[in-house]
Amino acid sequence: MSAMSVLAPISGRRRRKDKVARALLLTATLIALVPLVLVIYYLLKRGLGAISWHFFTSDPTGAFIGDPGGIKSAILGTIEMVALATLISVPIGIGVALYLVEYGRDSKFASVVRYFVDVMTGVPSIVFGLFVYIVLVIGSLGSGYAAWKGAIALSLLMLPVITRSSEVVLLLVPDSLREAALALGAPRWRIVFRIVLPSALPGLVTGSLLAVARAAGETAPLLFTAAIVFGTSFNLSDRMNSMPIQIFNDVGQASDVLVQRAWGAALTLVVMVLLLTLVARLVARRSRFT
Amino acid sequence: MAVEATTTSMAGSGRSPLERPLRARFPDRLLRWVLTALAAGILLLIAFFFVRLIVEANPALSKFGVLHFAFDNDWDVSRSIYGALPLVVGTLITSAIALLIGVPIAVATAVYLTELAPRRVRGPLTVLVELLAAVPSVVYGLWGVFVLIPKLKPAEAWFGRTFDFIPFVGADVAGPNYFIAGLILAIMILPIVSAISREVLATVPVGDKEAALALGATRWEMIRIAVLPYSRAGITGAAMLGLGRAIGETIAVTLVIGNAPQIGGTIFEQGYTLAAVIANEFGEAANNPLHRAALIAAGLVLFVLTLLVNVLARAFVVRGQRKRAGGPAQGQAAIAAGGPPV
Amino acid sequence: MKSRILPTAFAAVALATGLAACGSDDNSSTSTSASSGSGDGGSVTATLNGAGSTFAAPIYQQVGSDLKGKGLTINYQGVGSGAGVSQFAAGTVDFAGSDPALTADDKASIKKGESIQIPFALGAITASYNLSGVKSGLKLDGKTLADIYLGKVKTWNDPEIKAQNSGADLPSTNITVVHRSDSSGTTKGFTGFLAAYSPEWKSGPGVDKDIKWPTGTGAKGNDGVAAAVKQTDNSIGYVEEAYALANGFTSASVKNKSGAYIAPTLDSTSAAGEGLTIPPDLGISAIDAPGKTAYPITSQTFIDTYRDPCKALAMKEGDAKAMGAFLKYMLGDGQNQLAQLKYAKLPSELLSKSQDAASGLTCNGSSIGA
Repeated sequence: MSAMSVLAPISGRRRRKDKVARALLLTATLIALVPLVLVIYYLLKRGLGAISWHFFTSDPTGAFIGDPGGIKSAILGTIEMVALATLISVPIGIGVALYLVEYGRDSKFASVVRYFVDVMTGVPSIVFGLFVYIVLVIGSLGSGYAAWKGAIALSLLMLPVITRSSEVVLLLVPDSLREAALALGAPRWRIVFRIVLPSALPGLVTGSLLAVARAAGETAPLLFTAAIVFGTSFNLSDRMNSMPIQIFNDVGQASDVLVQRAWGAALTLVVMVLLLTLVARLVARRSRFT
Repeated sequence: MAVEATTTSMAGSGRSPLERPLRARFPDRLLRWVLTALAAGILLLIAFFFVRLIVEANPALSKFGVLHFAFDNDWDVSRSIYGALPLVVGTLITSAIALLIGVPIAVATAVYLTELAPRRVRGPLTVLVELLAAVPSVVYGLWGVFVLIPKLKPAEAWFGRTFDFIPFVGADVAGPNYFIAGLILAIMILPIVSAISREVLATVPVGDKEAALALGATRWEMIRIAVLPYSRAGITGAAMLGLGRAIGETIAVTLVIGNAPQIGGTIFEQGYTLAAVIANEFGEAANNPLHRAALIAAGLVLFVLTLLVNVLARAFVVRGQRKRAGGPAQGQAAIAAGGPPV
Repeated sequence: MKSRILPTAFAAVALATGLAACGSDDNSSTSTSASSGSGDGGSVTATLNGAGSTFAAPIYQQVGSDLKGKGLTINYQGVGSGAGVSQFAAGTVDFAGSDPALTADDKASIKKGESIQIPFALGAITASYNLSGVKSGLKLDGKTLADIYLGKVKTWNDPEIKAQNSGADLPSTNITVVHRSDSSGTTKGFTGFLAAYSPEWKSGPGVDKDIKWPTGTGAKGNDGVAAAVKQTDNSIGYVEEAYALANGFTSASVKNKSGAYIAPTLDSTSAAGEGLTIPPDLGISAIDAPGKTAYPITSQTFIDTYRDPCKALAMKEGDAKAMGAFLKYMLGDGQNQLAQLKYAKLPSELLSKSQDAASGLTCNGSSIGA
């Protein structure tokens, strides 16, 4: 009781400062959200008009006058290339993460690998595209644009992200589980495939889905590996269209219908990415360890 | 700690009951070998990456000399002269604008969300801020070209006229310019700076905060005294990660910066960045080895810049995370997972 | 158990898509089949990739959509004449669209084989502007345009412009100059015209696909310049006629060599093709044509390809035949499409020379041209 009277009451000036600071911080947070609101607003305002059944089922025609066509080849192209990139980067990424967790917790080699994978997450995606361009498109190993080369560039982008997030998830699997299994006589490989991976699965899926969402939106790596093409193609050794490239191409146009197609495609892409992110979060919530 | 695989065998083999038959150890060896090979493969890939970039960039670097390439103010494709100073300056200017605008807001957002937000609002607001990262870079570019540029032009012109005594501010507003590029970059780095800052702020010992409050500090004073000083290193690291992002961003920037190989006199003039020049000119350079080498050299400069910034950033963030139970992995995981599309 | 379904389903979908994508090589779009089920026995199913001039992009795209019904897919990317020739020489595309003729340097850089350039159309490079209150053709001459692009003429009501347009109500606003930021044949044509009337331009920025612009904002492609002019008040930019029309621009009437102010129309563009000197490699230039009714900033446009694409690009015979068919169409029935896009046909003498060049196409020595 007496201690309370020793403490000086908070002066009006300090109280005001507190209120002002709080208000400023709240305002800053709201300011941070303004771009999000504006982007979504304009996507809907200018993109919804382009959306139609025709939009999703026809290829861009490239015709200068008349029907600009839809974005079918772009959607399919993105799905194909991202799927291939996922097939490449997810097993390798999880594999490297497994190495770091199961065999490399103390080793110097593993910390070097970990460090460089970390460093790779910061590399701009255009540098990856450039690298694939040098080595695979105009280099001695091959020539010409091809969808699989674009997929490789995307997988280079996804790889460090998947590795790091998988490592975090795998570390969360309690060692007690591993030790119990070892004590019961289980060999290492069985522990990995029957205990560690299944327990970490939701987290691994989340990490992979987030990487997929990111790759789906990437333009730079595809600029000089898969190029642009109007027709739908299922041939991975040929050029292939993709959503970000289609949008990038349509942005600089003066024709209103092409610009509207860009907005429609942007809306579709954002919805795709948001869905993937949402699914990733839902899966994460089911994880036993996060 | 990794426990080595010396286990009891269920099937007796006549030898020590603790020994497993050679045949059964093979899958273990195979697994270990495959995984180690993968990890080593990553290192080899990175080394190959670096070496190949240097080799391909060499024609340009050796012709102009590294210093001249990086610091000559003349990027003239038609005369085959490649001095990258306008690009480097453009990259730095747009990143500086991005940091000046984006970091204070991101940190303020992080502080609000960790210290002041009512519990029920915290989750949804956090998700909303992170959604900024889900928007692909080309969509930001599209929005920048058709919304930001036209809508902000009058305001930019007014600002330029009223404040033209400030250096680098002028009334002549090009449509796409440094400022718009910097603004969009600020929006793009916001989620990552905010996410890392939130991680860092969460590690402040509760005891410190409660002590400040117990001594009669207001909420803001508590933040000022107990939270911010503690998190300084980590927040600096977060800002540097944002810088790394800003330096490497290509598509959104190339759509709104005007792609002019000059050093603009004001922030409302057009410019160019290292990343944008690669995206724009590689097509022309397909058969021009010197031009191609110059673009790859620009890519190399970009690569080295982002590497340096990221290495420094991680050092800061790890230092700020040292006291957390989970160790550095938690903070670095946030870094890894927080990468938005470029 | 529920948590296992989602990831498993995802993995299954990814796997299935991947397998489907990988295993469909027999669906190769570059396969040739003389008897594909898509119609008459003579149709070719092939894909040709090209890149280059945005000046001529509307034609390639229109032709592309005409030929698609006949089994020939043309993928053309408008990246600018400079990039087009560069990619052609590097072997990443089968043909290039280039407005300026190939220079000696260009030819030297094309090492894969002997290249041929085939002119097939003429188009007008308009000086289009976005000026409220001035709805019909401003009159400008070469020197004034050069001074605008040099930054010497800064406002719309400058005496130089006023002198040629006594009736017009010119505002005092600043001129926003728009030019190309990429390597462009349209730029070379436009700067060629400027250099003919402005010694200061000739000795300064000069004539090339990619120059150092004294002033103005840059945009990529004809489409980019058109977009910039459309979105910026009081701006001026040089774009091909098709783009100006598609966006409802007002274009200046430009003073030609004979002293008359000529608006860019189909007739004045055709007139620029009269009396052209035709060098043996067909490398014509229609800029600053002498005709009385000729539009002075008329540019030609070429398709550049290899005389023997099979040897130079390791093309299959079917694709090379498709190239022959494509060229034949461009120089034959395709010429009827030009008018609606407001490009002018070549004068008949030049057209038949182009057709001769196209019929000289060979595949590993044996003739395939039509």
